[in-house]
Amino acid sequence: MQMIEIEALNKTYRTGFLMQAKKALTDVSLSVPKGSIYGFIGPNGAGKSTTIKILTGLLTYDSGRVEISGASARGIEIRRLVGYSPEHPYFYDYLTARELMVFYGHLVGLSGLELQKRIDWALELVHANKDWADRRLRTYSKGMVQRIGIAQAILSKPKLLILDEPMSGLDPMGRRDVRNAILSLNQEGVTVFYSSHLLSDVESISDRVGMIVDGRVVREGKIHSITDSHSAEYHVFIQGPELQEAPIRGVKKGVQSGEWLCKSSQVKDEFLRFCVDNNLSIQKIDIQRPSLEDVLTEEIARAES
Amino acid sequence: MQSLKHIVVIALNTFRESIRDKILYNLFFLAIALVFFSIMLGEWSVFDRAHVIKSTTLSIMSLSGLLIAVFVGISLVQKEIQRRTVLTLLSKPISRVSFIVGKYFGLLGVLAVHLIFLSLLYYLILFFTHSNPTWSLLSAIYLIFCEMAIVVAVALLFSSFSTAVLSTLFTLGVYFAGHLSNQLLEQVQFVKKMGEIEGFGSVVLERLAVWIHAIFPGLYRYNISSFVVHDITVSKSYLVWQSIYALGYIGVFLGIASWWFSRRDFL
Repeated sequence: MQMIEIEALNKTYRTGFLMQAKKALTDVSLSVPKGSIYGFIGPNGAGKSTTIKILTGLLTYDSGRVEISGASARGIEIRRLVGYSPEHPYFYDYLTARELMVFYGHLVGLSGLELQKRIDWALELVHANKDWADRRLRTYSKGMVQRIGIAQAILSKPKLLILDEPMSGLDPMGRRDVRNAILSLNQEGVTVFYSSHLLSDVESISDRVGMIVDGRVVREGKIHSITDSHSAEYHVFIQGPELQEAPIRGVKKGVQSGEWLCKSSQVKDEFLRFCVDNNLSIQKIDIQRPSLEDVLTEEIARAES
Repeated sequence: MQSLKHIVVIALNTFRESIRDKILYNLFFLAIALVFFSIMLGEWSVFDRAHVIKSTTLSIMSLSGLLIAVFVGISLVQKEIQRRTVLTLLSKPISRVSFIVGKYFGLLGVLAVHLIFLSLLYYLILFFTHSNPTWSLLSAIYLIFCEMAIVVAVALLFSSFSTAVLSTLFTLGVYFAGHLSNQLLEQVQFVKKMGEIEGFGSVVLERLAVWIHAIFPGLYRYNISSFVVHDITVSKSYLVWQSIYALGYIGVFLGIASWWFSRRDFL
């Protein structure tokens, strides 16, 4: 069962006095299984925030199908299942964090003791210190505001949590706290869909990843299936007479003495055969698997070319 | 029922936001200063002191109400969009209609408090200056409130799709057109009757004046200060009809604002 189902989504912005069209999303399709942590990655301006805002009903779209738990994302009622924190959140700075949480709590139908319990739970989860809660938001640092953004998103105990760049502006401790909060909520059954530029964080906590470049989803699926589809690089260390140049196409000299880099498994096999044929002793073979960053960089380069 | 609750929550937050806004305090204290200034004006004037105090204070109420309706009203929606607080708010299970209507009632509450406070001050001044404080003055204050209720709806309508500067200009434009449309129609009909304009031009001019008079809210209806300061009371049915007239325009303006706001993208 899918929590989010997007199919052939298209979005065009009309900007300027002449309402010039700028295509933001082209045939975007992706699906987020219930109970998963889904990282949505891509360069700036690729369409991550546009997709997220369509999911949260803040943007309209030209065509396609956008569903949350089987119902159209355009409906108001479906938003009861969703918690959302935008990129660089900004709140009413004349309120204290607690007042803000009470305001949002009332909007999602909470009140009384239940609301107070939820507020304490949400602030605790994002490690929003109790002393902060009664200070006006205008005195908050960027990182503190980011935590309050997540706290208000989880206040209604949503089934789906959508976070746009939740780790932006946070120090390493803050990032760790947000990662832990995401994992903790996920363990309680919350599906998390979030965008991030911090690919190491995405790799460490996500079950699935969607990669968007220039308004198109170029890769989607489990992290290892994406990285595995990219061929690993093989570092072959040999001993014997020094080779002056690469004997086979796809092989190049490494940094260390006797180190040769093979671009693919096939090239590696050919190179090993060459070594055996030429009485070169093979010391060791290191396999360097590609990271998400390698795959994304390659996809960006492909899109640009 | 749920929408009603959302409207109340947003209205209360808007009220709280407005009363913590510096613009409101500036306008409020300026109005108080001007009310006291009306006492001095009454003393200096060659006219009857009570009439001067009454008419000046009613004008100050109307003007300060207008400034709050326009400047605070427009900044309410614009600030939500520019500071992007609207993103978290509208991602909650609330309709955009509730948002607009909640904002409207929040500001209306601010205006009501402002006018109630000035009215208390007004009656105290009239009492201590022995200027014959009559209850009929309340009907003039009530109609000022009705007029401002229309202006707030106009301000929200323009701020739902336009920039702050343009919204201010458009709202003030509607305010002045609403006050002058009756005079414009009378003048055009008078000069036509006198034969100073004739032919196709006179027909076009008259049609234009009729259209302006019909489309823009007739805000001149809400200015009865010239009657009440001379202790002429207006009938209850007049007050009822003007209230219904105001409700009609407010409904139309908020309806258009909500429709437009519902179609808007928030980047």
